[in-house]
Order: sequence, then C-alpha cells, then structure tokens
Amino acid sequence: MTLEYAIRLTEILMGLAYCQQSAEHLISQAYERYLFLFRLLLSLLLVIGFQSDWVSVSLLLISLAILRRFQGPYNGGADRMSILILICLCLVHFLPTQVWREVAFGYLALQLVLSYFISGWVKIINVEWRRGLALNDVFRFSAYPVSESLRSWSASPRLLLIMSWSIMLFELVFPLSLLSTASLYGALIIAATFHFANACLFGLNRFFWIWIAAYPSILWFQQRFISSLI
Amino acid sequence: MLRLLKLLLPALIPSWNFFDIITPSPRVQYALLNTENETASVWYEFRPRPQHVSFPTMLGRMLWNPAWNESMYIISCAERILEQPTQHSEDEILNYIIKDLSNKPATNEQVPTDFIQFRLLVVERDGAALQQVVTFYSRIQKLAKKDKG
Repeated sequence: MTLEYAIRLTEILMGLAYCQQSAEHLISQAYERYLFLFRLLLSLLLVIGFQSDWVSVSLLLISLAILRRFQGPYNGGADRMSILILICLCLVHFLPTQVWREVAFGYLALQLVLSYFISGWVKIINVEWRRGLALNDVFRFSAYPVSESLRSWSASPRLLLIMSWSIMLFELVFPLSLLSTASLYGALIIAATFHFANACLFGLNRFFWIWIAAYPSILWFQQRFISSLI
Repeated sequence: MLRLLKLLLPALIPSWNFFDIITPSPRVQYALLNTENETASVWYEFRPRPQHVSFPTMLGRMLWNPAWNESMYIISCAERILEQPTQHSEDEILNYIIKDLSNKPATNEQVPTDFIQFRLLVVERDGAALQQVVTFYSRIQKLAKKDKG
C-alpha cells in the first residue's frame, strides 16, 4: 500500500465517520447545529477529495470550535482519535518532504498500536481486571450498558472473567500482529469486531467508525517498514 | 488560546487508558418545583435506560445514535462536576433537562412547574453491595414561560 493510497483511504473513511458524527448533531440547538452542518459539508468534500489539504485545515479549526463549545471532548476517546487523525492528515499535506510526511502518518499508526497496547497494559496491572471484577462493575452499575437487561450479565462472573482476559490478552499482543500482513489483517478484523460489540452493548458507535478510519495508516506502516525488515 | 491548547493536547498525545479503573458512576436526577425556595421531595431519573434494546435497534444505532451520545455527554458533564464543579457543566445538564421537558407533554405525575433542580447520585461498589450517595445539588433554575395558545 503506497503512502498516497493510504492517505486517500484515510480521508474517505474519516470523512464518512465525520459525516456520521455531524449528522447526529443536526437536531441540536441552533449554534451547535450550524457548526456541525458546516463540518458535514466539509467532510463530504474530504470524501470526494476536493482540496483535501485546505479542507483538512478547515475541519481542524472547526474541531477547535467544537472543543470550545463543549469545554472538552463531546464523545471522549472517539473525539480524541478524530482530532488525532485530522492533525496527522494536516501535517501530511503541509510538511515539505516525503520523509516528514511519512513520520506524521507513521505517528498515527504508532498511536493506533498504543491505543490497544496501553489499554491492555493498564487493565492487566489492575487486580480487579485480572479477577473479572472490573468488567462486572461495568455491566452492574456503570453508565455504559444500553439497556437494563444487559446488567444481568454481571450475574455471570465466569463469562466476564473469560471476556476480561480475552480483551486484555488481545490488546497486549496486538503489536505482535505487525510481524506479517496476514496477521495484521486478522488482528484488525478482531479489533473491529471488538469495537462493533462495544457499539452494540455500550452505544459507542462513533468509536467503531473512527478507529477503522485509522486502519490504513497501520497497514501502510507494516508494509513500508516491517515487511521489508523480515 | 492556552485553554484551547490544553483541550487539544490530549488528542495529540492521547493516554488511551480506557476503562483502567471503574470509577463511581453518576446518575442525574431532577426535581420539579413550584417556588424558588421549595425543597425537592420527588426526584425523577433523567433519561432512564430502556429495559431492553433489540439487536436490529443496536444495528441501526451504528449509524444514528444521537440521543445516546448526548446522554453520554451529559454523564461526562456530571463527571466533570464531581471532579471540579464548573458553571458550564451545570448549565449544560440544566439545559438538556429543560429541552427534554419542553419536548414532551407533562404526565400526571409531573405537574406543570416553574423551577427545576438536578442532583447527582453516585453509584459505587462497597464490598459486594452497591451504594448510592448524593454528591451534588444544582442551583434552582427558573423555567421560561411557554406561550399559551
């Protein structure tokens, strides 16, 4: 996968993810609605590839206005990944040399790997996660389950223990999937399935779309730097 | 500018410590009051989750999930208040409650009212049991009168 192709793919996926996010705000109050309507239009321009460099900068400026409006992220980690991708795209478009463009896009790939590895690390060092109690708490009383019936999962400690260890081990070994293109594709399919499950159970739909938008960067990174080494 | 940079920095250098510890979880409850000096006695849960959500509905929410994402943002505001109360977070929660109240007709239980207040109830595990503690009361907010017609 060439750098240009990976960048274009990222723009399309991120543009579509931004369209989805923005559309959800079109039923909001006036100021917020116009802000997101503008972002929706710019996202469509990004999808079709019209003036991607300046559109990316405009989207970044709107993101700052949105951060200011909500005094922080509206949707936690999903917003942070959205802005990270956008910053990397802006750098890719405006940095003067190919080497620096690769550094900027590689930084996105690195952060994607860290998003899984660090998530796994902070869990496995916590005894509550190792015993399955943390996931039990998530289902039992956290704000995340989308329905009351899902809270009954907390009555299945063995299932939650298996789920806890599956999540932690997958997140921790994710960096090893970079060793081959095939294993990386496999890991990304598992990761996307994990995000899909989170979207269904906890309503975290925005995470699903925006994390997928970062996948081209890691596919490019693996083929550009790792495949050639092995 | 410094404030914006402070907001932007966690996106540029993210921590990615999702669900590292499961913190006490806030619930927003609101009361309808007739006067500014009334003490609330009945509290309603704000946006209670449904008993069941079907798989087709979950699939639909992959593309269109504004109400839930708004509720998650309200929880973020509640968590910010627990961390360090700010006018912005309190205003946001009050505004969303007022918006919801104005969008649905009053039920028999919820009589027309002039003022509202919300409180934050924190749910946490204490040993094997769950405990709930009220940790914050908002200001009492006067509601704008609706035109009759």
